[in-house]
Amino acid sequence: MDVIEIKGLVKNFGKLTALRGVDLNVKQGEVHAFLGPNGAGKSTTIRCLLGILRATKGSVKMFGLDAWNYAVPLHKRVAFVPGDVNLWNNFTGGEVIDLFLSLSGRTPNPKKRAEYLARFELDPTKKCRTYSKGNRQKVALVAAFSGDADLFVLDEPTSGLDPLMEKAFQDAIQEVKAEGKTVLLSSHIMSEVEKLADSVSIIRDGKIVEGGSMASIAAKAKGRTLEEFFLSEYEEK
Amino acid sequence: METNFAKLSRYFLFLCRRERIASPVWIIALTAATVIFGSVYPGMLPDEAAMQQMAATMNNPAMIAMMGPVYGMEDLSPSSLMSQQCLVWVLVAAAIMNVFLVNRHSRVDEELGRLEMFRAMPVGRMTGAVATALFAFCVNLLISVLTAVSLLIMNMDGTTAAGAFAYGLAIGAVGMVFAALTLLAAQLFSTARGVTGFGMVALGILYVLRAMGDVRENALSIVSPLGLALRPEAFYENNYWPLFLLALEFANIILLALGICAYRDHGMGLLPAGKGRAYASQALRSPMGLAWRLSIKSTLAWGAGMLLLGIAYGSVCTQIESFLENNPTMKEMVFQNDQSSILDNYVAVIYSLMAMLASVPVMLSAMRIHGEEKHGRLEQIFAKRVWRIDFFIAFLFIGLMESFLMLLLLSTGLEVSSGGALDSATQLAAGLVYLPAVWCMTGIAVFFVGVLPKLTPAVWAIFAYSFFMSYFGRMLDFPEWVIKATPFGSTPRLPIEDFAAQPLAVYITLTVVLLTCGIARFRVRDIGRV
Repeated sequence: MDVIEIKGLVKNFGKLTALRGVDLNVKQGEVHAFLGPNGAGKSTTIRCLLGILRATKGSVKMFGLDAWNYAVPLHKRVAFVPGDVNLWNNFTGGEVIDLFLSLSGRTPNPKKRAEYLARFELDPTKKCRTYSKGNRQKVALVAAFSGDADLFVLDEPTSGLDPLMEKAFQDAIQEVKAEGKTVLLSSHIMSEVEKLADSVSIIRDGKIVEGGSMASIAAKAKGRTLEEFFLSEYEEK
Repeated sequence: METNFAKLSRYFLFLCRRERIASPVWIIALTAATVIFGSVYPGMLPDEAAMQQMAATMNNPAMIAMMGPVYGMEDLSPSSLMSQQCLVWVLVAAAIMNVFLVNRHSRVDEELGRLEMFRAMPVGRMTGAVATALFAFCVNLLISVLTAVSLLIMNMDGTTAAGAFAYGLAIGAVGMVFAALTLLAAQLFSTARGVTGFGMVALGILYVLRAMGDVRENALSIVSPLGLALRPEAFYENNYWPLFLLALEFANIILLALGICAYRDHGMGLLPAGKGRAYASQALRSPMGLAWRLSIKSTLAWGAGMLLLGIAYGSVCTQIESFLENNPTMKEMVFQNDQSSILDNYVAVIYSLMAMLASVPVMLSAMRIHGEEKHGRLEQIFAKRVWRIDFFIAFLFIGLMESFLMLLLLSTGLEVSSGGALDSATQLAAGLVYLPAVWCMTGIAVFFVGVLPKLTPAVWAIFAYSFFMSYFGRMLDFPEWVIKATPFGSTPRLPIEDFAAQPLAVYITLTVVLLTCGIARFRVRDIGRV
């Protein structure tokens, strides 16, 4: 059984079809990169996976359970970080982290919390209104990594981070992978994908157009860099 | 499914923490409103004669349209008179509070992607909505109880426990219905702006329905929660059944909203968002075009509002006349008090209040510059080849046009529905005489935007002060100079006062000074540090 099993997922918004039959499988313990141009359907797929959008057709399963019907029990095992983190101006970063951890229903781990705060160089005593985009993202990342999730769903989680923090993020991903956790990582940063991912799916115009292990992708790339290969896949044919 | 409400109590605590400042401020302010009214009414009404006199001034269509039906004429007390004159305003304020309160925890959070993070946690689909409804319930209950207890402590003549709670619970009940309506709107519209707009338009329509129903004494009034909430007749009948009906309305609307919430897609509204243009029209491609585009919706909405208010107030003009013919004692009394006709008095009062309302969209056009700056968009504009002064003047030009438009629409509304009772030249003048005051208010806004951008919200405090003084200043016996020292107070109230050019000249001079300071400073100051 795979951790994520999406089969024939179709999602319509009124007359607009956002997803036209997405198939996506992520195995236990792998880092799966989810790539594609803006508007191709990455976030829509992720929202269906999180059970906050209802699939028009097809099946979406996490840990073998339907993602919509069992959303709440499933989310005890999931950590999610969006690309654009908005927080509450009159809360401190530390308060938000604790709020997120307690709503996630995980036992708080003060040691881990302190460790990740240090690694991401985040001052938890500041009010969220004073945080930059990158710092708001760190709040969500610290909350995600310091709870013991089994599946990390990350939707462009590093779009506001500087290179040092990007490195801290990559280290964190490698550690959770070593612990056997599963990661679905949507990203536009090719170097990050190249370094972290075990397998890849590329979505374009609401359909998966390419996928497989990094080794099989490298074979298909035939000497081109990964970036060149992805660019050619992104383009309409 | 109980998982729909997972983590409800934790989420509720989170709301309490988030609201630790805003809600207490609203609760205290709304309670204080009644306390202030309650502390001045006994002084104004020392004896039976004074009460009879006040009751008589209330008992005409214009006043009924504004404040609701009169009751208990044979058993007057300061409590019942206070309730008849003031409760409706507290209801309106409670409604506004609830629109903002519920919106910021529903569609605002959803639009900004905050709810999405919660929904990715083991938090139920309906947890956020239910917690918000519960929180609004608690706030409204608190306001109701605090208000009732304050009334009991003040213990005016005629205060009874039944009356105090009928009055207090009416506020909470209306608040709850608007909380529910806002939660419903949050399911229907996909933007926070849409929800606020819906809430305000609904409040306007329901107020007008109540006014029409109360004047014509028909059931239209109790279609509106505002009308229903006045039906307990606090400190007289103390009927509680209208409040139960309001509770029922609340429950039904909440259930509908939750039902939609459980099944709709997150981030979407039930009403689809339309497609826009691929290219900007020629008209948009300039500072003027941008100012126009950012203002037009608000201009149209306010314009329609002014026209409707004009029509609503105009429609009772003929009834005032017939009312007077049937009430010789009343007629005599009015003419004793004033040299002018009651219709002229009515027109003067309407304009003095409506002109202030008309100044809001004009001020907003200046405040919009502040909004653009606060949200960091001004930096992008001035990074291009745009003169700051051109940009500023574009917004002021829109404001100038609006100042004429609003007052003209108000006059037009009054005129068309008055059935020929109003002399068009006289009442047009009665409206346009407020132009300098409207400009002066806008000048104050410009001064803040240009010179003290961080303090810009203080403009609303000045506006609130002006409004309070014009409305209640004379009633509460404030000294004349305190009443007149506002951007509106010294304008000659045509047609019951003579035209005087001097105060208008003062307003215009002030406006020029304020505008000059504001614009001059805006040209040279740092942008984006607000």
